[in-house]
Amino acid sequence: MSTLILRSKGPMQSWAVNSRYTTREAGREPSKSGVIGLVAAALGRNRGDAVDDLVDLRMGVRTDQPGRLLVDYHTAKVPGNKHSTLSWRHYLSDAAFTIALGGEDSVIQGIASAVQDPRFPLYLGRRSCPAPIDLFGGVSVESDVEVVLRDLEITPWLASEWHRKQIGKIAYLPLSRDARPGENGELVRDVPQSFDPRNRIYDSRSVARLEPIVVENADGVEESDPFFDLVKEG
Amino acid sequence: MATFIDFHALQTLAPSNVNRGEDGAPKTAYFGGVQRQRVSSQALKAAQRRDFAGHLDRSDLGVRTKRIAELVARKMLQVDSKIDFDDALAQAEVALSKAGLKLTAPKAKKGEDQKPVSAGYLVFLGNHQVERLAERLVSTDDVKSLTKKAVQEVLDTEHAIDVALFGRMVADDAALNVDAAAQVAHALGVHAAQPDFDFFTAVDDLQRADEETGAGMLGTVEMMSSTLYRYATINVDQLMENLGSREAVVRAVQAFATTFVESLPTGKQNTFASHTLPEVVSVMVRDRRPVSFVNAFETPIEADPGANRRQLATRALADEAKSVEVTYGFVPKRSWVSAVPTLRDDASGLGSLLSTSELVGELRSAVEEVVAEFDEAGE
Repeated sequence: MSTLILRSKGPMQSWAVNSRYTTREAGREPSKSGVIGLVAAALGRNRGDAVDDLVDLRMGVRTDQPGRLLVDYHTAKVPGNKHSTLSWRHYLSDAAFTIALGGEDSVIQGIASAVQDPRFPLYLGRRSCPAPIDLFGGVSVESDVEVVLRDLEITPWLASEWHRKQIGKIAYLPLSRDARPGENGELVRDVPQSFDPRNRIYDSRSVARLEPIVVENADGVEESDPFFDLVKEG
Repeated sequence: MATFIDFHALQTLAPSNVNRGEDGAPKTAYFGGVQRQRVSSQALKAAQRRDFAGHLDRSDLGVRTKRIAELVARKMLQVDSKIDFDDALAQAEVALSKAGLKLTAPKAKKGEDQKPVSAGYLVFLGNHQVERLAERLVSTDDVKSLTKKAVQEVLDTEHAIDVALFGRMVADDAALNVDAAAQVAHALGVHAAQPDFDFFTAVDDLQRADEETGAGMLGTVEMMSSTLYRYATINVDQLMENLGSREAVVRAVQAFATTFVESLPTGKQNTFASHTLPEVVSVMVRDRRPVSFVNAFETPIEADPGANRRQLATRALADEAKSVEVTYGFVPKRSWVSAVPTLRDDASGLGSLLSTSELVGELRSAVEEVVAEFDEAGE
C-alpha cells in the first residue's frame, strides 16, 4: 500500500458536490468525484468507462491556502433562443490543497505515471482551470493518508509567500479524510458510480473532519493586540 | 502518449471592457493575493468560434467521402455488432436519402460484384455526426418513420470543427454531447489592476435645441487596462477522435491558432475600440502533458525604471518556460514564438522566432507529421 500526493494549486479551481441547475458551486475543498475524475482522465478513461477500482482509493485533503470565492457570471447564446442562458459559476481563487490518495502499490504507481503523462489534459474541477506543472507531488510508502498529510516533510505546505506573510505566526491547516468505520463524519455525495453523461450517479461517503495541522509560519505577522497588552500590564 | 499543442500569449488591452460581469464591471480575479483583470474562458472561446466562419469553409470538415452509406453502416455495426451489414447499409441508405443526399449504385464492371451505393459527390461529415446517425438508426425500429427533418437534425447543421474543438453539452439529450479537444483557461492580468470609471453625459438634441441646460442622461462605464496572459491547449488525439479525418485535424488546429491570435471578445468595443493583437504568441508541441506558464505571474509584475511591464512580463514568461524544462524535465518537441520587435530579444527563450503566419505554417507541418501516424475513421 502506498500514497499518491497531488498538489491542487492554481489561480482558479472549482470542486463541487451540491450544484443544481444554474448556480454551479465551488466547495471548500476538492471532492472525491473531482479527484477520481482527474485520475481517470490521466489514465485515459472515457466518461462512460468504469471507475469502481478508483473509488476504493482512500482520500485525504489538507487545505494549505483557503482561497477566496469568485462568482463568474456566464452567458450562453443558444442559436434559436431569444435570450441567452445564464448561469453563475463559483470558483476558488488563490486556493491550494494537498491531496493524498492511498491504495495498492501497483494501482498507485499506475496513476502516478499517468498523472505525469496524461491521456487527456487535466484540470482542477473545471476545464478552464488547467492543472499546475507541479500537480504530481510524489508517491509515499506510507499507507495512511492522515499520516502523510500531517507530515510536512512528505507533504510540504503549499501556501505562497504572499499568503504566509498575511496570516499569523501559527497557521492551522484544515484536514479531512474518508471516515473510518465507527468514526463520526459528514455525509457527502461525491463517490462516482458513473460519469456517463447519460446516467451520472454518485454514492455517499462519510468524511471525517480532523484536528487541523498546526504549522509554524516564520513569515507570519506578529499578532499584537494593544488592548490585551494593556490589560495584561494592568 | 498523447500530443498536446500549447498556446500562450501576452496581450495588452487599452482601457476597455471586453468582458463584463452582471454588474457591468470588467471581470476580475484574485491571483497571488491581488486583484487582476480577467477575461473569461467562455468569452474567449465564443470570440474564436465567431471567427471560425472566416477561416473555415463549411464543407472542409470531417470525413470526406462519397461512401457515406458504408461509413454509417460500419459505425452501426460498432454500436451493435449483431446487426447484419447489408441491413445496416439499406437503413443508412434510406436515412441519408431522406436527408436529401442522392445515393446511386456505381455501375459494376463486367464480372465484378455490385458496389454499395454512394453519393455522387464528396460529402463531409464529422465523426460525431456519423456516430449520431448510426446510433439513431440502430435504436429506430422502422427507419422509414424518420422524417427528413429528424435525419437532418441528427446529421446536424453545426460546424464539425467547432464542436470537435470546443465540445457540446445538450441538456435534453446527453447522447449528443461531444468532449472538447481544446482547453481554454481564463485570461488573467499579469499585474494588479483596478477598474476605472468613465463618467459620461449624453446630450438630448431637442433639449439643447430648446436651449434647456442639463444632460439627457448621466452614467458611468467601467473600464480596465491590462496585459493579459492567455493560455489554451489542444489534445490532438481527442481532436482526431472527434473529427475522424487527418486533414480536418490539421485544418482545425490551423483555424484555432489563427483565431487564437486574431480574435477578441467584443464587449463595449464601440465605446473603446481596443482592438489590439497579442504582443507575444508562443506555441509548443508536447508529447507528455500540457503546461501553462501562468505561475510566472503569481507574483504580480511591476514596471521598474529599467523595463516596462510588457518586457518584464515577456522575460517572466521565458524564465518560466526555462524553469519548467530544468525542474520538471518537460521539454517541448517543437516551440515557436512570434513577438513584436521590442520584445523579440526577451521572447527568444520561448522558441524559434517567426512571424505569426510563418508560425501557423510551421505548426501546420508539425501537426501533419503527428497525424500521419493516426488511423482515419473507417480505416
